[in-house]
Amino acid sequence: MSSIEIGLWVTGGLFVMVVLGMRVAFAAGLAGLLGLVWIFWAKFDYDPDRFGRAMGIAVKTAGQVPHGKVASQALSLIPTFILIGYLAYYAGLTKALFEAAKRWFAWVPGGLAVSTVFATAGFAAVSGASVATSAVFARIAIPEMLKVGYDKRFAAGVVAAGGTLASLIPPSAILVIYAIIVEQDVGKLLLAGFIPGMFSAIVYAALIIGLALTIPNFGPAVRGFTWRQRFASLPPALPIVAVVVIIVFFVYNPFGDAWGTPTEGGAVGAFIIFVMALIHGMRGRELKDALIETAKLSIMIFTIIWGVLIYVRFLGFADLPSAFADWIQSLSYPPMVILICILLAYAVLGMFMDAIGMLLLTLPVVYPAVMALNGGEGVSAADSTFGMSGEMCAVWFGILVVKMAEFCLITPPIGLNCFVVAGVRPDLSVQDVFRGVTPFFIADAVTIGLLVAFPAIVLWLPSLA
Amino acid sequence: MAGSSAVLSDGSTLSRLDRGLEHLERAMAFVSGLGAFGLMFLAVVSVGGREFFNEPLRGYVDWIEMAMPLIAIFGISYVQRNGGHIRMDIVVGNLKGRALWLAELVTTFGILVLMVALVWGSWAHFARSFDFGAPLWSRDSTIDLGLPLWPAKLIVPAAFGVMVLRLILQLWGYGRALVLGLDAPVAVPLVQSAAEQAAEEAQHIQGRDE
Amino acid sequence: TEWNVSLWGKRRAFTEHIHKLAELVEEKTDGEFTMNISYGGLSKNTENLDGISIFAFEMAQFCAGYHPDKNRAITVLELPFMGVNTLEEELAVSNAVYAHPAVAEEMEQWNAKLLMTTPMPQYNLVGTGDPRDTLESFDGMRVRATGGIGRAFEAVGAVPTSMTASEVYQAMEAGVIDTASFAQHAHLSFGTINEADWWTANLNPGTVNCPVVVSIDAYDMLSDDERAALDSSVPEAIDHYLANYGELLDRWDSVLEEKGVEKVTISDEELARFKEVGGDPIQQAWIDENEAQGIPAQELYDLVLSTLEETRGSN
Ligand code: NA
Ligand code: NA
Repeated sequence: MSSIEIGLWVTGGLFVMVVLGMRVAFAAGLAGLLGLVWIFWAKFDYDPDRFGRAMGIAVKTAGQVPHGKVASQALSLIPTFILIGYLAYYAGLTKALFEAAKRWFAWVPGGLAVSTVFATAGFAAVSGASVATSAVFARIAIPEMLKVGYDKRFAAGVVAAGGTLASLIPPSAILVIYAIIVEQDVGKLLLAGFIPGMFSAIVYAALIIGLALTIPNFGPAVRGFTWRQRFASLPPALPIVAVVVIIVFFVYNPFGDAWGTPTEGGAVGAFIIFVMALIHGMRGRELKDALIETAKLSIMIFTIIWGVLIYVRFLGFADLPSAFADWIQSLSYPPMVILICILLAYAVLGMFMDAIGMLLLTLPVVYPAVMALNGGEGVSAADSTFGMSGEMCAVWFGILVVKMAEFCLITPPIGLNCFVVAGVRPDLSVQDVFRGVTPFFIADAVTIGLLVAFPAIVLWLPSLA
Repeated sequence: MAGSSAVLSDGSTLSRLDRGLEHLERAMAFVSGLGAFGLMFLAVVSVGGREFFNEPLRGYVDWIEMAMPLIAIFGISYVQRNGGHIRMDIVVGNLKGRALWLAELVTTFGILVLMVALVWGSWAHFARSFDFGAPLWSRDSTIDLGLPLWPAKLIVPAAFGVMVLRLILQLWGYGRALVLGLDAPVAVPLVQSAAEQAAEEAQHIQGRDE
Repeated sequence: TEWNVSLWGKRRAFTEHIHKLAELVEEKTDGEFTMNISYGGLSKNTENLDGISIFAFEMAQFCAGYHPDKNRAITVLELPFMGVNTLEEELAVSNAVYAHPAVAEEMEQWNAKLLMTTPMPQYNLVGTGDPRDTLESFDGMRVRATGGIGRAFEAVGAVPTSMTASEVYQAMEAGVIDTASFAQHAHLSFGTINEADWWTANLNPGTVNCPVVVSIDAYDMLSDDERAALDSSVPEAIDHYLANYGELLDRWDSVLEEKGVEKVTISDEELARFKEVGGDPIQQAWIDENEAQGIPAQELYDLVLSTLEETRGSN
């Protein structure tokens, strides 16, 4: 049996384990481990006397991955970005944001849901992790929406979908991961995420207003806030702006040299919010809770990372990625059709995989193929297929892929944001949240279609830098 | 926040072992969180030192690489205890009674196989970096400061070792539920619907104890 | 026989000899012996020696400075200011050190056999702002430099700042560092040259040593023909590498011109002072430290210097 066939068999086994309900990280790790045993034993011609040796090599190869992959400066952004989210919760920033969004936007049809979307968009500017954003707003926004009579499943869906904005609007852990995998400038990518993130939020809001206008008893508008009350709600939410400015200046300073690296910007932002949380009354017990919650979410994400990477290591030995790249490049369809097929493939894959795992797994293969479609890494805009330079294509494709990865956070059967919302609210099952989030699939499809059709939405801001 | 786990307890040996191990696991998770907190300060010190004193933190990257396994792996067993590692529950979510416990038993056994292998593999990874004869016992070191890497590598088999203990307890819990045909066994994370059922019962028991 | 080869990054001047080797070996054995070159798919770059030692793959490249404790003996080749000036000299001293029994013994602990080196030119600085051409101007300079070169700069008051190579461009742009020390191919591939205002042409503080190793077990398992094909291809592969890197160096001046980067030459007096402060004491400290661990450090050090003399004498 060829190593590529072994690769396909093991991949099939992985899907069976996942469907049977094995925790995804460990299913990937086990599939990778067993695959490695198979590959190394096949190399020994299935000699029974050398099975033990093959197993030893496989176990030691897999055993390098957890420490080796986790001990990385680049990935250190993930716990920092998660910590920001939880500290902001204790700093009262999430409540303040939601209150401000409510007073300003709740008068439209579907008002509280629209307010939730804009509050999550605001919070996205300090939070780098989608799941953390959903976890925090599930505690604040769902009870308020239930009070005025929203369907609880839809209320949960709004929070799950709103959370995805955190990964487009900088800071964003997942954009950083993309930048690292494809070796592109992190700063440009973070800048590029801003407008598509806001754009997504507006599409979500439009969808909610549309639903509210067509469905009776959907969720009433909340009116009656005076202008005085509206303006009074702004100062408590203002610190968000300060943190946004700091992070932007670390990434890109319009007036000269940037202040540092994005890694440092994230940490300095976290520190400022930490100080604010102290002022707001956070004490030892709350800090301890925030740290344990940060640890739980970070560990969950990192377990997926190293688990999937054991599987990726096996794929490397099975030589599957290069076989795939050859296949893609041999296709004779128009490049735009291939690009759209790749995005659709991400939508399907994203149903079964978590976002980070999916990027780690696919980008080493898909990214070079896309760059080749556009005419190579160093191509000029004039000579390119998609009408943009190689560097800009990397940014554009990055935002598209991250938007797809965000989409997969809310699609069943494995949608991390929906799991988290269901986890925070014991009265909601995962199935309930998936049902509530379904309308947002349409919004995301519209957004992605527009980003593909009008790359300028993505590229305008980074082209200034 | 999300503190109430769906793990039941009673006065049995299994449940006492579960809670005993949970103390250790929670402490380990807290250390992971402290690591993340420390990372933030490390960056602030690095930026501040550079911008205000032209004295950037020497070996910033080395320290991060030393701290990351602590943050990302040390508390792994606590997450497993509370059923916090994600999975797809469309199949197990619809199972009940013995069929459910059998499915849990099989998948938990799969995780145990993986973790036992990884304790071996990550121990070997540690052992290659450790040498009693060398200065600081080090046979592998970081790029800048030359810090010995073995303590960071040792974190992994240590955390996975605790995870193996946890998985054995969970196998015991699911096995017991399978044999006795229980509805709400102790010491294992319950899927949502079962947990809701059990919550009432648990309150009942607690009420009598106090 | 099919060998898996673990490299990292992407194909570049730094890996050309390995591609050439694979080509030659396949040719000479009529396709019997092939090499499957993987960039990052088989291992992390700092763990290639680990992978060789557990027999996960048969051949790999690594850099001594990534993990000095794994390979103390060959770090003699990374000491600052040893006076190596050309790729040919770098090749000669590397080969001499690789042939030393103490080095072979240390590699045996990893089940590894040194096959060939990756000769690299001296790591010179690119920098932003005003050119720095005196020892005094290095004071307070934030420089991305690792290992012995980092210690040399530290000795004259510079502040070595570490980061991964892929972050260096961003860090220069952000003003986190003023200067970065790399070989020319790396200044090109990491983009530091695009940010730079100047480049030091003759600072030559030292370089990094990156050998290619094979698994001893795998080497022993080769048939006699295959082993002969492998051994005989090494010199040719190295010649190809030198020619390829030579072209890059020839292009270098035009690259500088095109990017508007000033070529800074440092006076002999300044270089002598730098060597006095940043070279000799660090070399001596390396010898003392490693002698204490039972490595014939003085012998290895002398070997480098005597090989250098011989190489120059024969030209
Ligand atoms: Na964000
Ligand atoms: Na999904």
